[in-house]
Amino acid sequence: MSVQPAEPRVAASGAELSALIVAIATRADREAFGRLFRHFAPRVKSYLVRNGLSANAAEELAQETLLTVWRKAAYFDPTRAAASTWIFTIARNLSIDLKRRERYGDTYQAEAHEDEVDETSGETMLMTAEREARVRAALAKLSEEQATIVRLSFFQEKPHSQIAQELGIPLGTAKSRVRLALNRLRALLEDLK
Amino acid sequence: MSASTHPGTETLLRYAAGTLPAGPRLLVDVHLEGCPECRATVARLMSVGGALLEACEPLALAPDALDRALARLDRPSTRRNPAVLHHAEAAGATPPKRWPLPEGLKLPPGVVLPPAIASRRIGRLVPVAPGVRLGLVHLEEDPDAQVLLFRIAPGRAIPQHTHAGLEFTHVICGGFSDPDGHYGPGDLVECDAEVDHSPRVDDDGECICLAAFDGRIRFRGLLGMVTRPFL
Repeated sequence: MSVQPAEPRVAASGAELSALIVAIATRADREAFGRLFRHFAPRVKSYLVRNGLSANAAEELAQETLLTVWRKAAYFDPTRAAASTWIFTIARNLSIDLKRRERYGDTYQAEAHEDEVDETSGETMLMTAEREARVRAALAKLSEEQATIVRLSFFQEKPHSQIAQELGIPLGTAKSRVRLALNRLRALLEDLK
Repeated sequence: MSASTHPGTETLLRYAAGTLPAGPRLLVDVHLEGCPECRATVARLMSVGGALLEACEPLALAPDALDRALARLDRPSTRRNPAVLHHAEAAGATPPKRWPLPEGLKLPPGVVLPPAIASRRIGRLVPVAPGVRLGLVHLEEDPDAQVLLFRIAPGRAIPQHTHAGLEFTHVICGGFSDPDGHYGPGDLVECDAEVDHSPRVDDDGECICLAAFDGRIRFRGLLGMVTRPFL
């Protein structure tokens, strides 16, 4: 897969990205939308291509994801989710819906999912920024192989065979390594409490 | 392996990633409604998704992508507008769909179907084996999904079957045991393909449970013939 950076890397902090969504919500700020689009659309496209969509479909859905961000910006609550997590959730829901439409036609409209990211139950007291920082810290503590396994598990529809291939190990071994890696991730994440 | 009564980490991760098929996804939805711990785990995994998205190597869009998006900002959505939907619901115009209980299903006093299931159409429960009734839960978003509602008499075995992938069972009321342990209301049991198991319902009451499959299921013997039209 040839991957070209879409943009010179501009370091954007989570707080800045969240502020862009809030600017869209409060004053329909098109410039904020442009910056958000330039940051996230190429990443969403990359995620969707890894998820098995064609480059064209991924491009369309990346557009659709950012347009949904524009329309639903008022639902975004920066105290409950990071911008990247919220946008990830939108892309996830749209890709589920697209896969369904490809199989069954357009007879069914998925329910609106604004509430989904809000469901943080016992964790709402923990500030989002802190949780996001700790999630990144947990990911950084994984070994390189475990990080690869987590990434492939997230982004591949049939991760086991892909993991076996990338790591050059038998399928059975891949399954047990996946179990170990995900249990470790979960243990690290549960330290967040 | 000791009995687990929650979805496995890999299942929750596939749920968060959006790669779990519709049937198992529905059972995880049902479980999450009643399980704050797993909801917290899913929330953390969504944050992992956000972090991984952030770390994705950007893949360039068409040069005019942003211009096209900007041009579309002021056009009304072709999709259903969530803001409008919200108001309509607040005004009671579109009450959440709730289907009547399917024919052949009686719930014990105090037991209700989980909301994620009550909003689905469930086919008539038909007897498929002595003491075992089975109805099909219809998923509009995936007509091929196999989600089954079982109503099984006290002391009966859930019929022998094998399946190609994971099987998920959620207990609505009553309980059952398999060689690994005992399961009760709210529990979600994952079973993998290698296991040829036949759980047995408790003696003191019937068990109502849901089953979904990640892969096709095949029942043996008579039940296989009876359920063929459904599956």
